Amino acid sequence: MDAYVEKDAVEVSEEGLRPPGEPPVTAAESSPVTAAEDSPVAPVADPSGAPAAAPSGAAAEDQASTPAEDLPGAPSEAPPSADKVAGVGIMGLSLPYQVVVAVALAVVAVFTCVHLAMVFLHVAPSNTLTKRHGEAVSDWIYPEFEQNWKLFAPNPLQTNLSVEVRAELTPGADGGRRTTAWIDLTAQDIEAIRHNPMPSHSQQNQLRRAVDFLLNTHTDDNRPNGMRGTLSEQYMRRLAMLRLDALEGPAGGSLGPEVRRIQLRTVSRLVPAARWSTEKNRTTPSYRDFPWWTITQADRSAGSDTSRTEAGR
Amino acid sequence: MSMSPATPARAREPFDRRLARGVQAVTGRTLAPYQSAIVRIGFSLTWLLFLLRELPYRHQLYGPDGPWSWELAQRLIADNRAFTVLMWSDGRLWFEIVYGLAVLSAALLLVGWRTRAVSVVFMVGVLSLLNRSVFVGDGGDNVLHLAAIYLVFTRCGRVWSLDARRAAREERAARAGEPPRRDVVGPLLWVVLGGFLLAATWFGDVSGEWWVPVLLWVLWLGNGLWWLVCRLAPGEPRTLLDALANLAHNAVLVVIMAEVCLIYSTAGWYKIQGSRWQDGTALFYPLHLDYFSPWPFLSDLLGSSGVMVMLLSYGTVIVQVAFPFTLFNRKVKNVLLVVMMAEHAGIAVLLGLPVFSLAMISADAVFLPTAFLVWLGARVVRGRDRLLKRTPTESSDESPAETLPEQRRTGEEHGPRTLVG
Repeated sequence: MDAYVEKDAVEVSEEGLRPPGEPPVTAAESSPVTAAEDSPVAPVADPSGAPAAAPSGAAAEDQASTPAEDLPGAPSEAPPSADKVAGVGIMGLSLPYQVVVAVALAVVAVFTCVHLAMVFLHVAPSNTLTKRHGEAVSDWIYPEFEQNWKLFAPNPLQTNLSVEVRAELTPGADGGRRTTAWIDLTAQDIEAIRHNPMPSHSQQNQLRRAVDFLLNTHTDDNRPNGMRGTLSEQYMRRLAMLRLDALEGPAGGSLGPEVRRIQLRTVSRLVPAARWSTEKNRTTPSYRDFPWWTITQADRSAGSDTSRTEAGR
Repeated sequence: MSMSPATPARAREPFDRRLARGVQAVTGRTLAPYQSAIVRIGFSLTWLLFLLRELPYRHQLYGPDGPWSWELAQRLIADNRAFTVLMWSDGRLWFEIVYGLAVLSAALLLVGWRTRAVSVVFMVGVLSLLNRSVFVGDGGDNVLHLAAIYLVFTRCGRVWSLDARRAAREERAARAGEPPRRDVVGPLLWVVLGGFLLAATWFGDVSGEWWVPVLLWVLWLGNGLWWLVCRLAPGEPRTLLDALANLAHNAVLVVIMAEVCLIYSTAGWYKIQGSRWQDGTALFYPLHLDYFSPWPFLSDLLGSSGVMVMLLSYGTVIVQVAFPFTLFNRKVKNVLLVVMMAEHAGIAVLLGLPVFSLAMISADAVFLPTAFLVWLGARVVRGRDRLLKRTPTESSDESPAETLPEQRRTGEEHGPRTLVG
């Protein structure tokens, strides 16, 4: 192999690309050709092409330029210096193995192209192809390659959406109906995020995205549109109950166990226009009320159950 | 990442020669070892920090009795067929084990211990937790989810890893004529993981698409085959497997780079269509959303100038749309890379999204120039040595890096600095 590399190096310098004796280029900018010229034997000395020994990767590139392909002789005739690894890449192999690698290369190439095309179609707007073959794209992408990069696009969100909840409690000693005031759950999140360099997903995403999920899976008259709608309702109930469990009820213990029904409403407040802006926008909030939901055992976490028994003790 | 300018020699070379050279390159070499290593380090660090940060909230986010309960998740997963081992049991102990293993795999991937095997465990951990509760994630989780899958195919532990250190040590020993040390840990790890895989397949309850278990089996068998071949047939069969591994690595590297381009293209081109990005006021709004303003004073300060908001809004769109095209020019690409990483660093603080930002910076890092990465690596090694008061010779596994001239100082410290290698 030494001979082949040297032959190649000679070949290259014969083309007169770079006069010998020119100051050596730094490893970082050296092209494979110059590297081969500067040290024609180097690649053989390190046939494994250990990356650590080739900081810029340029020296390793020599391997690629080792032209074994147009030379007769099986790799088994390699000099003893290459005994640890017979060779690298497709050129270090005999024909049957080369065929295997070639087939693999073709498969990998096709697979890569198809995958990238599918991802492209998945993130692209609806178009002729996705209208015709949307099913195939979805089959390929979902669930593990799903992605959405419309970050603050096409327009950033311009409303602060809050979730408020009120609860109907078990009747008091006088048998009268007791209902709490509206409790702002989003305000709890905001409080936790303020001056927090690394907010938790439970503060920044959980409620925010649960409401998104709820709104996206409900019709305008607040009815769930399918399986995900019912899932989102139970999710919201469980989330609300978790928050209510942490609050103190009128009896002194946790509020959660006393809750029989809850009602949710969302409050939208437009971000007020900037001082430097000429725009004026509505500053009054708009409300959307959801119906009263009865709380069942499935809406309570197992933890709240134990807290009740502890409280009863 | 062959960014090397086309040399006259290449231009004059006949097409078939160039093709052969290309085929040899993608089968014979692990391209961009430093870039894949920094991506590995970046994402494992992101995931590790995330898991540690969420430790107190883990039950609320992913636990069987969290608001998104195990039953709810099961009903959704029956529909979307996502992969998560958390569906195997609704027990609390199982959840703690999975979370613990996820933390462990992130730490091990960070330092590059048995990189390939650990990257598979890492992927299983990431998919299991993120797919378990899909409604608590954001863009950062989305990038991590994709990266965890892609990393499995890469040889991301060739540098800056314990694996690389071990390989260097073994090579030194071989050169000194010492007999190779028997590796016990590798086969043991393989058997343990195989046991898990067998149990999972046996119970037949492997949730998710069919290709996930197939992929796991292929990887497991492939690793075993590699071990056998290295011992019994170090000639051509080994070269063949090596070529296939290189092929997968290089192809997936292209996929990762294309993904980053798609992310920026999507983000940029959709913004162009928005009226707020057109009139240059867009940035004002996220700064005034309660969920994304942990530092109201800073947000107000930045949002107080209309011109500043417009410049930043326009700049964001221009950079995002332009980035994929700048890949054709090394210098412009590097400038935009610095701008984008700086912007993400700003987002981390201003919008309170450090995990998202770190994930995006990790993805961007695939485009960092090798010279910079080598310089960074040398700096980290030197810093570590100074910290541990070691003499350079003791830890000179990466020593060639130290001799490289510091020619490309960008003045920014983007890469997550970790004491590895």
